[in-house]
Amino acid sequence: MKDLIKYIAQALVDNPDKVEVSEVHGEQTSVMELRVAKEDLGKVIGKQGKTAKAMRTILSAASAKVHKRTVLEIIE
Amino acid sequence: MTKTLEIEGKTIDKAIETACHEFGVPREKLNIEIISEGTAGFFGLGSKKAKIKASLLTFDVDLGLSFDKPEKPARQRTVRKEEPRVSSPAVHDIAVKAQKLLEGILQRMSVNARVAIQETPDSILLIIEGNDNGLLIGKRGQTLDALQYLVNKAVNRQEKDRKQIIIDTEDYRRKREESLVALAEKLAQKAKRTRKAITVSNMNARERRIIHLALQGDESLTTKSRGEGSYRTIIIQPSKKK
Repeated sequence: MKDLIKYIAQALVDNPDKVEVSEVHGEQTSVMELRVAKEDLGKVIGKQGKTAKAMRTILSAASAKVHKRTVLEIIE
Repeated sequence: MTKTLEIEGKTIDKAIETACHEFGVPREKLNIEIISEGTAGFFGLGSKKAKIKASLLTFDVDLGLSFDKPEKPARQRTVRKEEPRVSSPAVHDIAVKAQKLLEGILQRMSVNARVAIQETPDSILLIIEGNDNGLLIGKRGQTLDALQYLVNKAVNRQEKDRKQIIIDTEDYRRKREESLVALAEKLAQKAKRTRKAITVSNMNARERRIIHLALQGDESLTTKSRGEGSYRTIIIQPSKKK
């Protein structure tokens, strides 16, 4: 799951090597924290959060497959 | 037999006309080569005459040439100039890149699926073939749309000439379009019966477009969109009677 977000984020940014994802596991819900280079922040959020929303949608679908919930946080 | 004449005229069309007259044959029977296109100038100042080379077309000349060349020579020439021959391999590269990316995402979602490419002149169609289609489509196609949006964004990021990438599975896009058209017709009936405007929200641009197109032929109704961003709604209303 971590890999999924990292892979998508790296495809969107200018500095793929600065993409970091950490996962805080919970019993049912996990939190995924995404960190990118400062200048790439806009790219992973997108206009009116459209890109972030798309990533969350995909993450939800992937989580649903393993009967879990995952929340994506983009850390500034 | 292969007599060639150099003819000047105010414009290329004029020059071709002269050439036709000179040879006494219609345009289609002439092989015309443009030497200079000529410029109109300003009030006749600095104008340059168009110059063409014309010869009778013999039958061993390729027929395709005889059809499109004399018809509109000026346009033909510019079109040929602007059209880079690299366009189709480049499109293919984009398609392969998009396919790789999508396969990478699917694999990391632990979805076992294959991605097939279909290239059309103005878009690239990626078709997901696997068992988890329901999951990938999501509620009202939102997962499919999210995948499509991200792949478009990632792939077109570095490309100069953007290509629209459409992601589909199990013919979902076509089925959705059909159900939207059916919905549009149902709402249209209702709007006509009640003589009241009907507002439909929660649709993306593509879906609104399908509704607009489905009802544009109906004179007794008008459709429009109102609002901004995700609050944009489509309104179907009976036209005002004249």
